[in-house]
Amino acid sequence: MTGASPAIDGAIGVVREDEDLAPPRRRRPWLQAHGRALAAVLLLLVVMFPFLWLVQLAFKPAADIFEDGLLFTPTLEGFASLLQGNFLKSFWNSLAVSTLSTVLSLAIGVPAAYALTRWRFPGRDRIALWILVTRMAPPIAFTIPFFLAYRWLGLQDTLVGLAIVYLTFNLAIVIWLMQTFFEAVPPALEEAAYIDGCGVWQAFWRITLPLAAPGLAATAVLCFIFSWNDFFYALILTRTNAITAPVAIVNFLQYEGWEWTKIAASGTLVMLPVVIFTVLVRTYLVRGLTAGGVKD
Amino acid sequence: MNMQETPDTRRRGLLAAGAALGATALLPRIAPAQGGAKKFQGVTLNVSTFSAAYPKLLQQWLPEFEALTGAKVNYDAPSFPVYNQRADLELSTKGSAYDVVNVTFIYSSRWINSGWLTPLDDFIRNPEFTPADWDVNDFLPGARAPETGKDGKLYGIPWTAEALLSVSSRFDLVEQAGLAFPDTTDDLVKVLRAVNKKERVAGFVADSHYGWTFVPYLHAFGGDVFRKAPDDLFPTLDTPEAIAAGEYYANLIREFGPDGAVTYTPDQVTQALKLGRVNFSDAGQLHLAQLGDPATSKTIKTLKFGLVPKGPAGRFPGTAVHALGIPAGSKKKEAAWAFIQWALSKQTTRKAVEAGYGSPARRSDIDSQAFRTKQVINGNDLAQLALDSIEQASKSGHMKYRTVSVYPQIDQQLNKAIALIASGQANAKQAFQQAQAQSIAELKRAGIAL
Amino acid sequence: MASIAALRGPGWEAARHRAFLFGLAPSLAVLLAITLLPAAALLVASFTPLSLTDPVGTFRFDDPLVNYRHLLADERFLGSIGTQLKLSVASVVLQLLVGLGLALLLDGKSKVLGATRTVFLIPMVLPPIVVALIWKIMFTPDVSPIHRALEAVGLPVRSLIANPDTALWAIAFADTWQWFPFTMLMVLASLQMIPSDPIEAASLDGATRWQLFRYIVFPHIRPVLIVCGLFRLIDSFKAFPLIYVLTDGGPGTVTEVTNYYGFIQAFNFSYWGYASAIAVVILAGVFLLSWAVGKLGWNDHDRR
Repeated sequence: MTGASPAIDGAIGVVREDEDLAPPRRRRPWLQAHGRALAAVLLLLVVMFPFLWLVQLAFKPAADIFEDGLLFTPTLEGFASLLQGNFLKSFWNSLAVSTLSTVLSLAIGVPAAYALTRWRFPGRDRIALWILVTRMAPPIAFTIPFFLAYRWLGLQDTLVGLAIVYLTFNLAIVIWLMQTFFEAVPPALEEAAYIDGCGVWQAFWRITLPLAAPGLAATAVLCFIFSWNDFFYALILTRTNAITAPVAIVNFLQYEGWEWTKIAASGTLVMLPVVIFTVLVRTYLVRGLTAGGVKD
Repeated sequence: MNMQETPDTRRRGLLAAGAALGATALLPRIAPAQGGAKKFQGVTLNVSTFSAAYPKLLQQWLPEFEALTGAKVNYDAPSFPVYNQRADLELSTKGSAYDVVNVTFIYSSRWINSGWLTPLDDFIRNPEFTPADWDVNDFLPGARAPETGKDGKLYGIPWTAEALLSVSSRFDLVEQAGLAFPDTTDDLVKVLRAVNKKERVAGFVADSHYGWTFVPYLHAFGGDVFRKAPDDLFPTLDTPEAIAAGEYYANLIREFGPDGAVTYTPDQVTQALKLGRVNFSDAGQLHLAQLGDPATSKTIKTLKFGLVPKGPAGRFPGTAVHALGIPAGSKKKEAAWAFIQWALSKQTTRKAVEAGYGSPARRSDIDSQAFRTKQVINGNDLAQLALDSIEQASKSGHMKYRTVSVYPQIDQQLNKAIALIASGQANAKQAFQQAQAQSIAELKRAGIAL
Repeated sequence: MASIAALRGPGWEAARHRAFLFGLAPSLAVLLAITLLPAAALLVASFTPLSLTDPVGTFRFDDPLVNYRHLLADERFLGSIGTQLKLSVASVVLQLLVGLGLALLLDGKSKVLGATRTVFLIPMVLPPIVVALIWKIMFTPDVSPIHRALEAVGLPVRSLIANPDTALWAIAFADTWQWFPFTMLMVLASLQMIPSDPIEAASLDGATRWQLFRYIVFPHIRPVLIVCGLFRLIDSFKAFPLIYVLTDGGPGTVTEVTNYYGFIQAFNFSYWGYASAIAVVILAGVFLLSWAVGKLGWNDHDRR
């Protein structure tokens, strides 16, 4: 399923067979024909240069950091040095928290999204606005009360505590995204199930959910990405037990000696899952980021 | 991995711990230093200090402690400002994430007098926890004073007593210019003018913690932080003396500093001195002793140390004490004390001194042959300079401003003020008047009556 | 649905609504607990001079507006608002320009263009802390290839983030690098929806590319640009990792935005009452802007 919007498909480069706006073919000099592609690739190299530099730095031997040469023998010692200390644990923590948060958000949010799709009730718009605002609010507004509450509840520096905090933005994402996917399912199919005697949630489980499954997968991945990328909440609400990868990297930055290879290696590792997932869900990215604030 | 904690399990856990504590207190104990049964088998200690010479040595020797007691140690040592922010936050909520913390000198009064640390006297007196020859009185009285609360109890065991000293990493350039090591503030400017940028060596840098590196100059010009600490806490940052001092000091950085001087951390300063990229600086022995490491220091042959410059009002070297303490919320206080007791035992501190550690807090170490010989770097007796400075500080009492519990906020104001002047965003008068106004606001916010 | 109600008998509609309520309730309850309650707690705390050096003593309401009065008189706070606005406007304008430009360039069907569009997504999805690290490396003269390259050709540049004149621009630049893909995607989506007839007709009439853009394309994508800008504006109030890693609010306070100032007040000195007041101010601003976004770009499910 490529999504309900031809616009977004086009934006990401998914080719649709029924569009054909190309001018009639005729011989043109190579540069004119491919000028755009060439410019695009050159621009790509320039813009992505900082990113590529970081990745390349991860493989440089530590002694060569201050050298000017571009050629060096790549080594994995940057990555190997990550094995000592807290970094592996933090990586595992990130995985655990992101997964937990995603599962939690989906479990709570999917039924709500379905209910909002199929049920028109007064006050629905106000609730929708509230959900939008929760996603927009700056983390500082929540960290202060959460910090105090967690101290009292004993959830400070725990993975569960962090997963709960991530609900503040993930729940909104799930509800908004899944609404659009559920809307794409024709109600007639559900009505057929009702006629057969199914209850609302039975029909949902048997018919709607399987049809919206790709959307569910995409939403899950987006939740994962947003949880994985969080920095502020993890910085404040974790210490040594539940420290996540982004916060662990900052430790390297502030130790003596400014271990640049370690920084580059850890940075490369931390962004790897996210980049891979992004390529998988690029079609749904805009929807996820605007969370319904934009007309499709 | 932390188990999911609900209030119920937490309470149950506390009760169990309390029972265990009570029960085991009845059994005869073996002091850790004598070996025997592994006292803290299975306990995980969370230790956090800021990244510095002594903690780094301790980190190397952790296996010894772990073997002695069976405990496992998680050691966390971020940079100075990050450490202070995290520790302050954790302590303020009486959290239990850390069992041993560094009691940072500018925060010691704030943390102790808010009741965020555990008094250590009972641990020290109890022979089951501390062997008799551990000798708490061996620590300099001047170093124990800032770690003592208003109630007279000791809250931290000092691991460093250091003084701010002046250093020239390329003294050969000074000699080439026909000048001597600067003694007064005027001398300093003269010397810097002569050697700045010679052989691409910048003249002067100081680490961006100006609330520490600048204050000796503030005092030298006749200014002070408060009117009369600790009784009268009205800030005096906008007096003509303070402004003159700020102007002078920020000018040193602006005119003679390397690129990006206002962002230099202590480690960057040490690095720059070792590599000979910057000539003059002021730093504590904690960092200066590292310049004597032949393996990493390129300037070891051209070093010269001296006291901080004398100004119109005199010479007022800054002194600092850091200590190890136990947060009030720690759940493993006994194991924490075992760690502190080991980390600052005579054996461990002597080992550190022999490894070249430059600012011990034990009298026995300071007097020891090992310390005196190790601290002679390139013919300079670093130890003597430091001792002279500490002596001076205790006599004149000019460090009293540091023991005020609201000093951290003022410290930040000084940092910002000097940074503003040095980066050309404001002149000295504007910056210091702003610092004064903000300090008064901060003090009011902290509930101090002015 | 009426036919189904007839088939399933009385109570079907009511049962259906109950079922929906059952599905909606957990979300509402959770959201209530984790957003409205903390917001209320925040508001309450902002009325006290709460400081953790004396939590019991400072939790009092004798002077509820003390923090807000202090805020109005606090030069550093007012300065931070100015800094925030400067940073936000600069970043958003740059992002719109760059995103628009790239979208126009990459709007095409070749495989190459499609692949570059995907790769250009990367800055936006990188963990923000990694973006901060990338730019820390780029802006630190000792290790930065850009600085060293410039030095090699004889144009040495001093550290951008240590210089108060350029620090904020450096952050705006890094922020633009991170978020231009967002605008790019939205504009690309909008470009796809432009009907082809007016464009063909106009170009047959001899219109230049610029005229095509100005009179046909731009009016079409303007609403998207506005919504994009507002979205990015709201998100820009959350700017944190870049400032934390690159400048720590400095040199001086030149890159200290309101969000960062609140962070410092709360987590450096435990002035939680004061920091709560700052957070309330930010929240109010965000609420207003969100409301504007809602009005302008509402994805109205009722209309479907």
